[in-house]
Amino acid sequence: MTGAAERLDAQLTVAAPPVGRVKLSLNGVARSFGAVRALDRVDLSIAEGEFVTLIGPSGCGKSTLFNILAGLLEPDPGGTLLLDGAPAPSGSLLGRIAFMPQRDLLLPWRTVLDNAILAAEIQGQKKREARELARSMAAEFGLKGFENHYPQQLSGGMRQRVALMRTFLFDREVMLLDEPFGALDALTRALMQRWLLDLWSRYRRTILFITHDIDEAIFLGDRVTVMSARPGRITLDRTIPLPRPRQPSLLTAPEFMALKRELLEAVEEESLKAFAANGP
Amino acid sequence: MSWRTLPRLAAPLLLIALLWEGAVLGFGISPFYLPPLRQVLGAIAALWPAYQSAFLVTLAEATAGFAMGALVGIAGGIAFAHLPRLRRMVLPLFVVSQTVPVIAFGAIVVLWFGNTLAAKAAIAFYLTFFPVTVNTLAGIEAVDPRQVALLRSFGAGSRELLWKLRLPAALPRIFTALRLSAPLALAGAIVGEWFGATQGVGAMLLAALFNEQVVAIWAAILAAAAVGSALFALVALAERALVFWREEL
Repeated sequence: MTGAAERLDAQLTVAAPPVGRVKLSLNGVARSFGAVRALDRVDLSIAEGEFVTLIGPSGCGKSTLFNILAGLLEPDPGGTLLLDGAPAPSGSLLGRIAFMPQRDLLLPWRTVLDNAILAAEIQGQKKREARELARSMAAEFGLKGFENHYPQQLSGGMRQRVALMRTFLFDREVMLLDEPFGALDALTRALMQRWLLDLWSRYRRTILFITHDIDEAIFLGDRVTVMSARPGRITLDRTIPLPRPRQPSLLTAPEFMALKRELLEAVEEESLKAFAANGP
Repeated sequence: MSWRTLPRLAAPLLLIALLWEGAVLGFGISPFYLPPLRQVLGAIAALWPAYQSAFLVTLAEATAGFAMGALVGIAGGIAFAHLPRLRRMVLPLFVVSQTVPVIAFGAIVVLWFGNTLAAKAAIAFYLTFFPVTVNTLAGIEAVDPRQVALLRSFGAGSRELLWKLRLPAALPRIFTALRLSAPLALAGAIVGEWFGATQGVGAMLLAALFNEQVVAIWAAILAAAAVGSALFALVALAERALVFWREEL
């Protein structure tokens, strides 16, 4: 652990819990909008410190699922949602899970540092303390020297790192990342993936990561889950037994290719279904 | 203001001055219609203390009413954004109030407030608060709902949403309204002076008109323009300080 990581944990996190315990568990979570059934009985369980990726065709209800987990949307009655083994009704989830949406949504009138501490500030942390902590983490997030810049002066990759830093500083054990690298070019994206893994191995948060990209899903995840076309449900849950730390060369290794083939087939099937349902 | 701003402002002013002088000389315009600029400037210089105090009086009246209008307008916009019921009840009244031309109220305002600064400020206020209310409301409502969702997921309540997101996000629109209503506030103050005031640019203008002193009329117009520019400059400076983050200003 680096100094900043230690300080973050000492200041904000309670003692490190035993690894392997179930952190987040969904059982038959569903949601309809009028006649449209967006989510159909989602079952998913994520262990403490696990990195789970979720892929699925567009419009499969991934965002609905994320909004439910972030506490922004009420699920239909019937299903159960457990956080740390305790039932978590929708409103109670607000402020308990660190949610990072697709777009960085940085505030243009705040500097990099002040954007990064936004969540901590809303949680009632002293601005000065939060800034100090953020300053000590800036190097790790590749933002050293840019602390007092404004978002509009940064590149897309840097903006995304500020948003990630904001999510990390919002010190919650579960992080929901919704296609955080979706808008980046391939090269930047590959760098950001390795950097995220590095960060994750140090801070050990539980992560649920949405993506469209199968390579990304396999490269990052301990498990890859596939969601079906609407109404969304988890149709495949595949453990990725590839060793860590993972290097870029892994992307062309035969065992990676075998996994990719298997997952591509599953995703293809769902995409075709989605296409048949919504297509021309 | 940077060193580049001054020449940028001075150049068009100089052009207008040259056109004015040139037209009067070139077309032989009678001084009754348009006196030469140097004569107007001479008149101002000769009575400098009087013009200076008129400038300050009108500036104070317009600024007081403008500031009150801005405050009430911003507060009103915030209240309407948060209380839809209040908005349905009161906003139509605001709209109706604007259908009455302010000059129709002028005499009443002077009856109520007497010949004071407050009377002129009230008229300037009346012209300012409405555009600011409407634009504050529109600015708050135009906030990206995804941004609202993000802050709520951080546990933000409506107070934090207002101070950390909605109000700053509405600032560009609020300043658009302020820039539009600054000249209105000045017009309000001048109209207010026409109901019996003895001081100020508007009073000077009226006196010059009654006495058919064409040069003095033009001098009062220049003084009014100076007040308008000062008010506009105040708004522009505040905007530059608060909305610095907007890509282009």
